[in-house]
Amino acid sequence: MSKKIFWCSSCLNMSTRPRIAFDEKGRCNACVWTEEKKELDWSPRQDELSDLLDKYRSSNGSGFDCVVPVSGGKDGSYVAYTLKNKYGMNPLAVTVRPALSLELGDENLQNFIESGFNHIHISPNAKVMQKLNKLGFIEKGFPYYGWLIAIKTAVIQTAMNFKIPLIFYGEDGEVEYGGSTESKHNPLYNIEYMKRVYFEGGYDKVFESVLADEEVKKGDLAFWQFPTEEQVSSNDLAFTHWSYYEAWDSYRNYVVAKDHCGLKEKEEGTAGTFTNFSQNDQALYSLHAYLMYLKFGFGRATQDAGIEIRRGAMTREQALNLVMAYDNQYPHEFLDLYLDYYEMTKDEFDAVLDKYANKDLFEKIDGIWEPKFTVGEAFEI
Amino acid sequence: MKLVIVDYGMGNITSIISALNYIGQDNVVVSNDTRTLNDADKLILPGVGNYATAIAKIRKLNLDTQIEELVINQKKPILGICLGMQLLGDSSTESGFNSGLSLVNGVVDKFCKSELKVPHVGYNQVMPSQQSRLYADIEGEPDFYFTHSFKMLSKSSIGQSFCHYGEDFIASFELDNVAGVQFHPELSQKNGLQLIKNFIELF
Amino acid sequence: MLRDRLIFSLIYNAGAFMQSRNFRLQRVGDINWLERNYKFQKISFSLDELIVVDATKENKDIKKFSEAVKRLVNDVFIPVAAGGGILSLEDAELLFNNGADKVILNSTLYETPELAKSIIEKYGSQSLVASVDYKLVDDIPVVYINDGSVPIAMPFDEYLTFLQALGVGEILLNSIQQDGTGFGYDLSTIQEYGQSISVPLLIMGGAGNERHLLDGLKQDGVSAVVTANLFNFIGNGLPNARKYMLENNANLARW
Repeated sequence: MSKKIFWCSSCLNMSTRPRIAFDEKGRCNACVWTEEKKELDWSPRQDELSDLLDKYRSSNGSGFDCVVPVSGGKDGSYVAYTLKNKYGMNPLAVTVRPALSLELGDENLQNFIESGFNHIHISPNAKVMQKLNKLGFIEKGFPYYGWLIAIKTAVIQTAMNFKIPLIFYGEDGEVEYGGSTESKHNPLYNIEYMKRVYFEGGYDKVFESVLADEEVKKGDLAFWQFPTEEQVSSNDLAFTHWSYYEAWDSYRNYVVAKDHCGLKEKEEGTAGTFTNFSQNDQALYSLHAYLMYLKFGFGRATQDAGIEIRRGAMTREQALNLVMAYDNQYPHEFLDLYLDYYEMTKDEFDAVLDKYANKDLFEKIDGIWEPKFTVGEAFEI
Repeated sequence: MKLVIVDYGMGNITSIISALNYIGQDNVVVSNDTRTLNDADKLILPGVGNYATAIAKIRKLNLDTQIEELVINQKKPILGICLGMQLLGDSSTESGFNSGLSLVNGVVDKFCKSELKVPHVGYNQVMPSQQSRLYADIEGEPDFYFTHSFKMLSKSSIGQSFCHYGEDFIASFELDNVAGVQFHPELSQKNGLQLIKNFIELF
Repeated sequence: MLRDRLIFSLIYNAGAFMQSRNFRLQRVGDINWLERNYKFQKISFSLDELIVVDATKENKDIKKFSEAVKRLVNDVFIPVAAGGGILSLEDAELLFNNGADKVILNSTLYETPELAKSIIEKYGSQSLVASVDYKLVDDIPVVYINDGSVPIAMPFDEYLTFLQALGVGEILLNSIQQDGTGFGYDLSTIQEYGQSISVPLLIMGGAGNERHLLDGLKQDGVSAVVTANLFNFIGNGLPNARKYMLENNANLARW
């Protein structure tokens, strides 16, 4: 039975994207949400925010009233900056150290801290991180799976330990960029959602696998543990995302982070896209984006183009040209770094990529997966 | 076909050569040497800048007498571009009164209308005269690139085509083997390239 | 009828071409990249003019820059304006000899206006474009020189008058805040000051798509819209933009 593959009529999101949906005009849920955001009356949500902040502001012993996970990049910086300067909150910024951090990322994080924030830098056991990342890479095609888990678990643990019940994540990527819309109208979300949606149900399996490794003891996984439901309710933990209370605008975040938190861009440009001001903290992101391309047919440039289209900075026609020029990018830049990190040969590495390349969408030519499709032109598989 | 661009030190030669090459004219020389000028099949007189400075340079190099000889006596076709076109006329009031080469009757003065921005810069439409050779195969009222603060008018009939900028002024003239264009054909896209081609083929 | 103009600007930096966002530069590619992705000879037929600016911060090499200008000029049959780091009459001459039809001055207009005077004297007013970068400070435009880093004391409108008195041929107003953002031009400032400028006015800063370009041209007093947004107009972006503008009655030249 054949399946039609097509692109959003308004941005360039592909129908292959997990959990995406389209309306009768062929617009994806991210674009529909963008239009809704313009018409939405934000005042009830702003009131909810005020109430939430009033409830937690400087209320507990440690002096911090909310936790903001940051990487030094534009989004976390924007949320922390706004909570502190506009709403008078006392945020504790928390970073979970990624593997293979980049110099620019480290510099940006330092600049952020120096612009005036209290900050905790968590370094989960790097050896365990490496095993989890490698498992994620091979078993699920998620090259930094270990880190993806830790940015939730280690942050939540920190909040619990400091007795700060309120955690502000940035945007709900599912809602903003074309995934599941189930949390569109929910300010708070829970661990079940995280496990199901963000980790795509792989959390338990990966845990089992890593514990099978004799070098890893249960205690080593401490930073990767979610609290129990009892712990969550007894600590009155609230996980929320900023994008619920205010129209999320990642370019606006960039401008604020640039002006107030010392954010710098990558002067040489970033492989796989035309922007240079996001995702500069770790080398594994490029691999993550490339795997996304191989699995689904769209890469980083498509994501960035979608953001530009939705904020009115370019038309879909213009974006097509950019996607065609930039989307397909084998991660040559960091290849040696990856092979060294995963302790793999290039053949083993490519074999994993081959496993995740969608053969309906790609064919291998001269060792590189090339698209069988033309961006923007619907086809059947 | 040997084309010589008259060299008196003023004018954007690079673009003119580029345009000529594009339309297939490769035998192009930039020179003020007497023998080279004599060997030319056609001449191009470029010009960017100040009329007074330009005419002084031309006279110093004896190019005025040479051009008169080549164009009037030997009937070599000549195309004056921008300031080059103005120099082919009788006089100009730019930086004081200066007389020109007088190959055609025409007088150059500043644009006078004060509400309009001067210099006249940008693409503007030209109304080709009847039976013009310069605009052969160019339709309608074509756009060409102008950039000048001074304009030419004439009391005689010199095959002029007009442009309007506050007033009608001469966009081009063509009289026998003498042609002049106020605009820059080498900077006027397809219209300009066709006009240059017309000069090569029809003069 | 005098036409409005659509101008593309290339930002050059030590051999490469750049994308600018609030005056922060990102390397896009070298001239080969440009020729491959922009096919200059083809798309220049949808432009009215080309601007090339040398934004190299350290060790500007005007000789190398003029070679890049020459290569670009060879591909196009429209006026080319070149600037960035012109410090002497010889520098200007070098650019003219390499095919530039106009030169652009920025900081030197304020710091050493005699240079502008000597260029105008030798080559004429129409050969000089005055580039003015500005930021809104408490809603008032303030001129910044030295790559948008140093504000000048002279008030904005006084500076514009000063430039016109010098005899410059055209003025290019560039909004540092809008630059590269794709938010559109700073139309309110242009509206306020545009009408009183007696030389052709070119506006720059913020154009991301064809609508912005069209809106810019519709402003009274604006003679040309300029964009340096390499990414947004890659491929057939410029021909499409011109088509869109013409379809919406923009007063542009027709070929």
